[in-house]
Amino acid sequence: MELFLFPCIAIEVGETDVTKYLLKRLLHGAVSIVVVVAVVMTLIYSLSNRDLVFAGDALFTKQTNNNRVTYSYMRWEEYGYLDYVPYADWLLELQHNGEIDEETRVEAVAIGRTADNDSETAKEYAEKFREHYESQGYTVERLDAVLNGRRVANGGQQALFAHKDKPLIGRLFSYFANIIDVDSVHDVQEDIPDRGVTFTWHDPVYGGKFAPAIMGNGTTHKYLLYFDDKFPFIHQNIATIRLGTSYSVNYGIDVFKTMTRSQGSYVQTTTTFPTGLVEESADDLHTATYIPGSRTSSVIYEDRFTDDYTNVEVVKNGMSKLGYSFVIGIIAVALSYCLGVPIGIMMARKKDKLIDKLGTIYIVFIIAVPSLAYIFLFKALGGKIGLPTTFIMESSSKLMFVLPIVSLALPSIANLMKWLRRYMIDQMNSDYVKFARSGGLSEGEIFSKHILKNAAIPIVHGIPGQLLFAMTGAIITERVYVVPGAGNLLTEAIGKHDNGVIVGVALFYAILSVVSIILGDILMATVDPRISFSTKDR
Amino acid sequence: MDNDYSKLGLTTEELFAPIDHNDMESEKITAPRYSYWQSVFRVFFRNRLNIVILVLLLTLIAFAYLYPMLTEYDKFGNLMNPEAKHLSPRLAIKQFGFSIKWILGAGASGQSTFDAVWNGSRISISLALICAAINMTVGVVVGAIWGFSKRVDAVMMEVYNIIGNVPYILFISVMVMLFTASFWTMVLALTITGWLGIAYFIRTQVVIIRDREYNLASRCLGTSTMKIAMKNILPFMTSVIVTLLATEIPSYISYEVFLAYIGMGLSEMSLGRLIFEAESAMVTPGWGFEFWSPVAVASIITVVLYVLGQNLGDASDPRTHM
Repeated sequence: MELFLFPCIAIEVGETDVTKYLLKRLLHGAVSIVVVVAVVMTLIYSLSNRDLVFAGDALFTKQTNNNRVTYSYMRWEEYGYLDYVPYADWLLELQHNGEIDEETRVEAVAIGRTADNDSETAKEYAEKFREHYESQGYTVERLDAVLNGRRVANGGQQALFAHKDKPLIGRLFSYFANIIDVDSVHDVQEDIPDRGVTFTWHDPVYGGKFAPAIMGNGTTHKYLLYFDDKFPFIHQNIATIRLGTSYSVNYGIDVFKTMTRSQGSYVQTTTTFPTGLVEESADDLHTATYIPGSRTSSVIYEDRFTDDYTNVEVVKNGMSKLGYSFVIGIIAVALSYCLGVPIGIMMARKKDKLIDKLGTIYIVFIIAVPSLAYIFLFKALGGKIGLPTTFIMESSSKLMFVLPIVSLALPSIANLMKWLRRYMIDQMNSDYVKFARSGGLSEGEIFSKHILKNAAIPIVHGIPGQLLFAMTGAIITERVYVVPGAGNLLTEAIGKHDNGVIVGVALFYAILSVVSIILGDILMATVDPRISFSTKDR
Repeated sequence: MDNDYSKLGLTTEELFAPIDHNDMESEKITAPRYSYWQSVFRVFFRNRLNIVILVLLLTLIAFAYLYPMLTEYDKFGNLMNPEAKHLSPRLAIKQFGFSIKWILGAGASGQSTFDAVWNGSRISISLALICAAINMTVGVVVGAIWGFSKRVDAVMMEVYNIIGNVPYILFISVMVMLFTASFWTMVLALTITGWLGIAYFIRTQVVIIRDREYNLASRCLGTSTMKIAMKNILPFMTSVIVTLLATEIPSYISYEVFLAYIGMGLSEMSLGRLIFEAESAMVTPGWGFEFWSPVAVASIITVVLYVLGQNLGDASDPRTHM
């Protein structure tokens, strides 16, 4: 193992080599990320059983006959498995494009109970529909009416539709093409006056006080750039990260937003709406996005807004999913380095003494006992001494963070102890230590100046990964203590067959993992001057 | 210095006496006979603790495999008896009379927790052993090839980097979704990518040993790669493989418990499933035994397997055979 951690003993390397090497690594990482997403997409869209999305669907059980078939395709389209085009939708689109008029459409849409019963127009357009979609690789299906005596049975209406499984390459391409969504003044499809971007010194949200802002009309977001009192004080809505739209976990919301938006209860502040109405509201006007025709659809909106930018986020008092996971994770990481490193060093220095033996027992306990078991054990013990065992967002007590942090830190302390002790003991037997000892250095000096420095190199490699993966949260810890963190997002999405979320979270994990390995290598090279970024591996 | 021997009062003839040359004698090997596995077990049993742990393991295995065979276990036998549900050991013994069956109380449907735990252990241990056997075999073979061939190395490193980034529960959940969550599905799910980590570990070990001087010498003398792998490297790897096995077997039990807890486990009543189903009983006063018994048994099994495996791994390192 050790050999692999020191890729090459270096000679001098130039600056350009480092840049070239990093670029190569980043490119390599990007390819690996794309392949991961492709693998995940194949797993969930092609391999898994798509009938299972109906397992908990009450509506599905109510559907009968042909309706059940069309309902299935409709849902599968929503889950992202395939493209589904009902005949009626195609005709509507034709009418919208001006190819046919209303009258023809009404005539054409009324297909007969079986293909033989079609009227002339219906037959003609049904045939066109079939040709049009079959040439594009769709499967066109026509379901004849299911009869109950002479009447059409419940849900047995005739149906004509086309469907096609999305091909992997196309799916992959469109996914990565849409990952960063840049707002443009042509985003809004409807006719609106004065498209364009304006700059103002006086942000209307603050009632005309001095606050610069860039606002758009025709863009998805109303505010493209603005200032407020929250870190980092300047915010932008020009580019939005889109990892995939959720369907069943958080309907219509992007995964990235699901992870990053705040949770908890509303925080109301005195808000001046564009119409001049002032009230206590949790609405954050800076997040307004366009919803066509929304202002006139509701009195509430009409009273408050002057345009169709009515969709606002609300301000809540809790942290986001990522936020909770990150706070707990980062403190746990800090704690584990503060405790794990000194204990590991002590174990190595007092090898085979009492402290080493106790430490070894602890390490064996953590490695061998199922993590679920010791987390429950700590929950029970923590509950006994009066610490809160469940996480309540509304609670102001910081004590509820204690048990999740401790539960997360304990295994990583054991891990650090194990490896640091192991690396230090390996170093203790090496020749340079014997030489240093024969040169008259004290044991303390040998340990702190020579052994620790060398033993810490492989440990350093893991630090960026630990910090980054603190964000993703821990599945069991968060479940046991009911932490509203990001750890359970993937399992929840898998349970609910929310394919958009699964792909998004997998991409997020893959990016973190690639970045943390590269950062780890850089960090290791800065700590150890012998390691170089030359292209030769060994 | 010169005259040291003269002080002893010996003549030159006495110090160097000619001895008859004997061909037969020179062929004899005077070193004591050395058998590898005999030495392994000698070192292993020298530690009294190992004997205790081994006895404990045998007891656990006997309970997991023999006890369910000898007794009748029907989970829903007492389903209609409202008096039999969620009993603490004291109440259960009062209810049914003293028998080993009731010393851990009764569970949610009136079943004996003691029986449930051992039936669960049987499933969990079997799963761990089968998964470990498959993953270790595939992992060691692939890892050896991976370590030896530079071309395979280039391809496999890519595969390893990519598969390593796909969340593991994703593979498992897709397997569980594709087939039903039966025992063999779980075996498939745990082995489909599980061997990759082992193969990578073995590959690194092979790379370290492959270019050592004695192998270089061996290759210069014309030994085939196959022979180098089997005779020069495999013996070196034995202790590594045994140590790895010691961490692998308990890890499958832990993993099964974890999967069951997040609702992706077996449909059979394994230890993980028992813990999952009894989770709500943990906080209810008096019901604690149905939750803590499977947790404790799972922990004991994994710790015993781990410690035993580690010690066997230490014993199989020839450097401890002095």
